[in-house]
Amino acid sequence: MTSGWIRHTLGAFSLDMRWAAAPGEIVTLFGPSGAGKSTTLRAIAGLVRPREGRIEVGGVTVFDSESGAVTPPHRRRVGYMPQDYALFPHMTVRGNIGFPLRGGAFPLRGMPQSAVASRVDELLEALHIAELAGRYPRQISRGQQQRVALARALAPRPAVLLLDEPFSALDLELRRALRLELKAVRDRERLPIILVTHDLDDALALSDRVLAVDRGRVVAEGLPLAVLERPSVARLSRLVEVENVFQATVLRADRAQGVLACDLGGATLEIPYAPLEAGAAVRIGVRAGDVMLATELPHGLSAGNVLPARVVSLAPRGFEVLAQVDCGAPFTAQLTPRAVQRLGIAPGAQVWVVVKSNSCFVIE
Amino acid sequence: MKAAWKKPSAGWLVAGALPTALFLAFIGVPLAALLVRGLGADGFWDALGGHRVLDALRLSFVTSAIAAGVMVLVGTPLAYALARRRFPGRTVVDAMIELPIVLPPIVGGLAMLMAFGRTSIIGGWLDGIGLHLPFTMIAVVMAEIFVAAPFYIRSAKLGFEAVDPGLEEMAQTLGATPQRSFFLVTLPLAWRALVGGLVLAWARAISEFGATLMFAGNLPGRTQTMPLAILSALESDLGAALALAVVMLAVSLGVLLAARWFASRGDRSAA
Repeated sequence: MTSGWIRHTLGAFSLDMRWAAAPGEIVTLFGPSGAGKSTTLRAIAGLVRPREGRIEVGGVTVFDSESGAVTPPHRRRVGYMPQDYALFPHMTVRGNIGFPLRGGAFPLRGMPQSAVASRVDELLEALHIAELAGRYPRQISRGQQQRVALARALAPRPAVLLLDEPFSALDLELRRALRLELKAVRDRERLPIILVTHDLDDALALSDRVLAVDRGRVVAEGLPLAVLERPSVARLSRLVEVENVFQATVLRADRAQGVLACDLGGATLEIPYAPLEAGAAVRIGVRAGDVMLATELPHGLSAGNVLPARVVSLAPRGFEVLAQVDCGAPFTAQLTPRAVQRLGIAPGAQVWVVVKSNSCFVIE
Repeated sequence: MKAAWKKPSAGWLVAGALPTALFLAFIGVPLAALLVRGLGADGFWDALGGHRVLDALRLSFVTSAIAAGVMVLVGTPLAYALARRRFPGRTVVDAMIELPIVLPPIVGGLAMLMAFGRTSIIGGWLDGIGLHLPFTMIAVVMAEIFVAAPFYIRSAKLGFEAVDPGLEEMAQTLGATPQRSFFLVTLPLAWRALVGGLVLAWARAISEFGATLMFAGNLPGRTQTMPLAILSALESDLGAALALAVVMLAVSLGVLLAARWFASRGDRSAA
C-alpha cells in the first residue's frame, strides 16, 4: 500500500497531487508531458523533496513535512523504474539485478551470495531473460533492457513499484508483450504499482484505476473507461485522442427536447442540452470511433445527426482506418478495414455521416 | 571505415608528410642525441649508481607520490562537487583551480614563498610553532601539488560530469547509500578519466622545476629533485647530468606508454 499527498513548486509550475494504491492494483497517472506525473513518482522515491506533504510507502511514513521526517531514497522500499531504465552500463544483466540485493534497506539486503544468485535466477526466469545474464546493457535490445530494469526493481521485494513511461520507445508488438508481463508481475507479487503514461492505450490496457493529471492536478479519478471515455478537460481531450474538435456557435437551445443545435460553420450538429444561450461559443468533441458512415441515407435511426458528406481520404492507423470526410465541416471517422470493404468507399465517394447526439460532448 | 592506402599525391606529400617527418625529427633527433651522448659519456654508468642520482631519484619519486596521494584525497571530492553541485562562486572556484595551468610555475613558487616564507604572516605564525615550510621536502610536495593538481582535478571533473546522475539516483533507490553509490557506480564509470588525469598530474609533478626552485630551493638530498639535480650537475659533471636526463626520459616514456595502454584497454561495457 502506498498513499500520500504532496504540494510542490517548480518555478511557475505548481503541483498538488494525492494518490493511493493498494496491493495488486495498477494505478495510472495519465496526462500530458509536463503535468507533474514524473515529479510525483520521484517524490515517492525520495529523489524530489516536495515543499509539503505526507508520503507513505508500505505502511511507513517516509516523508512528512509537518513533523519534518524525511527518509532518504536508499531506505525507502521503493522499486523505481525511470523512463530511460538507468541500467548500470558497467555491470552485466546479472550484476544489475543483483545490485539491490547487496546493500541498502530492503528486506533482502546482505543476503548470502548463494541466496543472491538464486533470487537473481528466479527473476531472470520469470522475465524470460535468463539467456542474457552475462551480457552488458548496451549489448541487448530496448525491450530486453526494460525487462532487466523491471527485474532489478523487483529484486529486493519493494513495497511499491513506480514505473515512469515504461513502454515509451517500444514498438507496438513489444508493448503488448510487456503489458502482459506487467500484469503477471502484479498478480504474482501482489504489489501496488503506480504507472506514469501519456499513452491512452497503455492507460486503458493496464490500469485498475486512473488518475487523470493535468497541470499538476488530479482532474478525474476512477475506472479507466469512466475516466478516459468522456474527457471534460480540453487539454486532456486532445490527449485521449478525440479526433473531432469543433469551434461552434449555439444556434438554438431546446430544453424541452434536451438538445442544442450548433453551427459548425457549414454544417449543423445536434448535441445534448447544456445551459447555453443562442449565439454562445462552444467547443464540441466527438471521438472518431463514435462516427458512423453510411452509403445510403439511413431511415428510422435514433441518431440525431445524419449529414451528407464526401470522402476526402482513407488512411490506416494501427489496425483501423481513419476516414476523413467533408460535410461542410471536416469529420474524422474510425472504421475497421472490413467496414471500408463492405461499404466499398474510396476518396470522392458520397456518404452520410451519422453521429448520435449523445456521442457529442461539450469540452469545458 | 578506414581509407585504403593510396599512392600520395605530390600536394599531399608537401602538405602532410613533410611537416610530419620534420616534426618527428625535431623531437626525435635531440632525444637520440641525449641517449647517444649519455650512454657514451665518461662517468655515465658511475653517475647512474652514484648517490647524487639516486638521492634525486628517490626524492622525486617520494615527493611526487605524496603529491599524487594528496591530489587524490582532496582533489577527488573537490572535482565531484564541482561536477555535481551548483554553489555560489562555483565559476570562480573553477577558474582558480585552472589558473596554475597557465601561470608560469616560477610565479607560483614566488607566490608560495610570499605566503609561507618566514617574513609572511602565515610563515611567521608557522615559525612560532616551530614549523618551517620553505626549503623543506614539504615545500617540494606543495610546489608539485600547486602546479600539478589542476590537471587531475580538471580531468576528474570531466569524468564525473560524464556519469549520468540518473544512475546515482537509481543506485540509491535500489538501496545504496550515497557512499556506496559513489564507490559502486560513479567511481567505476569515471575511473578512466581519474587515472588518466592522475598520470598526467603525476608526470607534471615529477618534472616540476620552477616553483620548486623558488619555494623549496635546491638542497641535495633534501629538496633537490631530478630536474634540479640536472641543472646542478650540468655545472660540474656532464656525465651525471646526462645520466639523470636519460633516467627522466625513460620515466616519461614509461608514463606515456602506461597511459596509452590504460586508455586502449577500453572499459568492459564498451565491448
